[in-house]
Amino acid sequence: MRLHTGIRAAAIIAATTLLAAGCTSGDDTTSSSPTGGSTEKAEKVDLTFWTWAPGMDDVVKAWNDANPDIQVTVNKQDGGDPAVTKLLTAIKAGSGAPDLMQTEYQKIPTLVAADALADISGAVDSSIAGHFADGTWQSVTLGGDAVYGIPQDSGPMEFYYREDIFTKYKLDVPTTWAEYADVATKLHEADPKAYLGTFSATDAGWFTGLTQQAGASWWGINGDAWSVDIDSAASQKVASYWGDLVEKGVIDNKPMYTPEWNAALNDGTQAGWVSAIWAPGVLAGNAADTQGKWKMAPMPQWNAGDNATGNWGGSATSVTSQSKNVEAATKFATWMNTSQDAVNILVAKGGLYPADLPGQAEALSAPPAFFPNQPDFYTTATDIAKSVQPFTYGPNVNVAFSAYNDQFGKAAESKKASAFLTALTAMQKATVDDLLNSGFTVDE
Amino acid sequence: MTATLAPTKPPTVVRTTTGATGPSNKRSTLSTVVLLVGAAYCLLPVAWVLVASTKSAGELFTTFTFTPSTHLWDNVQDLSAYRGGLFWRWMANTALYAGVGALLSVIVSAMAGFGLAKFSFAGKKAIFNVILAGVLVPGVVLAIPQYLLLAQVGLTNTYWSVLLPSIISPYGIYLARIYAAASVPDDVLEAARTDGAGEARIFARIAVPMMVPGLVTVFLFQFVAIWNNYMLPYIMLGNDRLFPITVGLSGLLNQGASQPAMYTAVITGALLSIIPLIALFLLLQRYWQVDLAAGAVKA
Amino acid sequence: MTVQTPPRARRRRSGRFAPYVYLAPAMTLFALFLALPIGYALYLSFRTVKVSGLGLGKGARTEVWAGFDNYARSLTDPDFIDSVIRVALYGLVLVPVMLGLALLFALLLDSKRTRGRGFSRVSIFLPYAVPAVIASLLWGFLYLPRVSPFYYVFDKIGWDAPDILSSQWVLFAIANIGLWGGVGFNMIVIYTALKAIPSELYEAARLDGATEVQIAWRIKIPVVTPSLILTFLFSMIATLQVFAEPMTLRPLTNTISSTWSPLMKVYRDAFTRDDIYSAAATSVIIALATFALSFGFLRLVQRRAFSQENS
Repeated sequence: MRLHTGIRAAAIIAATTLLAAGCTSGDDTTSSSPTGGSTEKAEKVDLTFWTWAPGMDDVVKAWNDANPDIQVTVNKQDGGDPAVTKLLTAIKAGSGAPDLMQTEYQKIPTLVAADALADISGAVDSSIAGHFADGTWQSVTLGGDAVYGIPQDSGPMEFYYREDIFTKYKLDVPTTWAEYADVATKLHEADPKAYLGTFSATDAGWFTGLTQQAGASWWGINGDAWSVDIDSAASQKVASYWGDLVEKGVIDNKPMYTPEWNAALNDGTQAGWVSAIWAPGVLAGNAADTQGKWKMAPMPQWNAGDNATGNWGGSATSVTSQSKNVEAATKFATWMNTSQDAVNILVAKGGLYPADLPGQAEALSAPPAFFPNQPDFYTTATDIAKSVQPFTYGPNVNVAFSAYNDQFGKAAESKKASAFLTALTAMQKATVDDLLNSGFTVDE
Repeated sequence: MTATLAPTKPPTVVRTTTGATGPSNKRSTLSTVVLLVGAAYCLLPVAWVLVASTKSAGELFTTFTFTPSTHLWDNVQDLSAYRGGLFWRWMANTALYAGVGALLSVIVSAMAGFGLAKFSFAGKKAIFNVILAGVLVPGVVLAIPQYLLLAQVGLTNTYWSVLLPSIISPYGIYLARIYAAASVPDDVLEAARTDGAGEARIFARIAVPMMVPGLVTVFLFQFVAIWNNYMLPYIMLGNDRLFPITVGLSGLLNQGASQPAMYTAVITGALLSIIPLIALFLLLQRYWQVDLAAGAVKA
Repeated sequence: MTVQTPPRARRRRSGRFAPYVYLAPAMTLFALFLALPIGYALYLSFRTVKVSGLGLGKGARTEVWAGFDNYARSLTDPDFIDSVIRVALYGLVLVPVMLGLALLFALLLDSKRTRGRGFSRVSIFLPYAVPAVIASLLWGFLYLPRVSPFYYVFDKIGWDAPDILSSQWVLFAIANIGLWGGVGFNMIVIYTALKAIPSELYEAARLDGATEVQIAWRIKIPVVTPSLILTFLFSMIATLQVFAEPMTLRPLTNTISSTWSPLMKVYRDAFTRDDIYSAAATSVIIALATFALSFGFLRLVQRRAFSQENS
């Protein structure tokens, strides 16, 4: 983005004056060596890496110790949506973006649309695709030839429950959603303060994963047009199911990740949690005293005997379009996410579920410390991970997700099953309107 | 918007004809109680942070809110150990942004306020009103354009990017103008000029000392404003070693779904970050006088 | 920044430039860091991005002129209109209560008959030192039934208290945070004005047997009216710009939408939807409305409480 000459001149004058005043500026974002290709091997390269995943300091330290020529600096960011805006603003401004960025899978189309990510297909080894499940690999290629990142972790969804409370009230672990509703009702009847779960209107990713399990895929590409299918039969099934449970009052309607929810995890009034593979870390942080009381089971299914799940969370490591060291950055990203050493650190220090299939066996040999009572935790999880259903994200996930917060917030507050369906329709409309307004071709 | 306001003369005293000469210094229990209730209301959340920061992560959600525990020191140590003492770096950054920013702001505001109060010149009213209009534009909106402009000169992700935009303060200029008008008598300036003192000398040796109490208020005001500003540093800074405390703590809270929010660290951090501010306030207690209107009488 | 000392002979002539020298740093900084970004935002408010095809890859997005489209969309957006109404209500709740309490506390501080004045003054002013984001986090803990001491007490005395974050009450929950953070500052402003009243003024009334309430009502309040008006004005502007409190409380409840206040809508458009263009248009509307309200209000009260300065 270019500014008018006058504005630039004024700004430059200001800057010159200030620099003359003799203050040192902060660390520069990117390396000063603009050279690409083979000549840079001899020179030292400094890379910056924006991330908020845990354990990154440890894995980067291991890399830096072994690679004096390519030094990586971790800059820990806020994990919220604004981190993406921050990157996009830097892209618009033409400077200020890091070399590497943690990119959640659902944000990749948005970032690619804003030309924020570098296509690293020329810098990666062609065999790398074999390290990942097809679905995971597709989320960094968007189905094309380009490669917009190296997958780091994924979040296949599972059902977590308090084994002690289930035993106490003689509840069976639900294998279908119909059973889940029964168990929720029984539990709430046995202890009116207890719930088997909550419908969280602040976690769009969670709801997306639930619809993914039911067979929804909210976006699609049709030639040169996008299609939006948020208000599909599959999503409607999920929305009205949860709306019904909330209306009956057997499921809570308060958001997750609040101090209130933490307290409920601690005192056992949230006796179950439909979550993802990274749940042990969250539970350990929020309710450390309940260690060993939780168990993990496959998601309840829509039809008995089915074997399907969705994804909640997970991200890749991408190289930004402003990086002057794409090759070095790609080298680091590849090592971090596909070498056994790095994957071991990611699991041990970060508690991530690595996307790298060959590295899983060794890295996941022991169950999470929070689940000493479930030695086969990762064996079960790896089986579940194979049943993640396909799903396509579009270029305005942020719009859809913010519409989810607002619309389902209203619905959850009203405690009416019908309001959940209305919310879904409103989400669909907001998403399509936004695409049309930006000039996208939308296949309706 | 105009602030060239002057109050009317105080109304004449209304004499009452009630005969009783009431004992004026009798203590009133009611007014004491009302004021103490107000004080309690204001202290309650602060007391809460104090108690909460003594709890371990588990206790925070399991024990009664106002039951103190013994983990304050552990919490401080954990927070200090976070990423190699990054928290203290954020504290130092905040002190730099708010301290240096407010100090520069005071100098700039004092000059401008003095100029506006003690001189009459073409465009005075227009300049003042334009500066005041700056109050109307919310900072959330300005952060992105400010970023795009600073990026043109390569100043983003530096201390400058937060410091420079923080220096200009319409409120500060407004207050400084009032203090200059109220506290610096015209005849003193005239006498100094007759003695041949230059403008720099008049400002530094005569005007500033007279304005000091007011300028301390401007300093406090701007210090808190910069301290409070979240959006500007958030968007300007990519390097977490340059973050101020607000941006840093908010990052600990927004860790994404797959991470537990670090409530204990955030609460301990909030407590530690408020302490210097409270100390500053107590230290400068006698300067707490925000005179928004009175000075304009003489302007 | 140093101001050149003019030679004696040129003293009178230099006087003409002196005010501009004093104003130069402020004006330069103002131009660079406020006027220029405002102008840039204004420019952006008339622009928009158009995408071609799937919008993926280089060159798929171009910035084009949008005319008044962004403005029209903002003004007809029901979410925006709702947010304006909500904030008007919020202001109606908050500002009178905040200034009323600030005045009351200031009067009590000014009365020799009150005990514990030093302690109370410090305590009530203290919240001003707490950043809004942190204040909202603290109150958030105090609002959530399971972790709040209030609900614990209510529970013990058997009172079924309503959820303060439910849709009927959430406005008050947010206003309370604004009140907590703002009452002390306004109290200090009014207290400063009260201290400036010469004590003879009311000692005489006191000797004549006027009660403290009569003195407050007939002497003190009229004198601090100009301060009250300005605190009202600044509180009104702050109300229109309310942002940090609802933003921080939002993840805790279903009842605060992403467009709860006008500024939250600006934030959502700019930071969540990456649409700086409509965010800019909405903020121009907010700034103009703030200006019109402030100006209108000053016009309204000026005749009553102020005499126009002629300079």
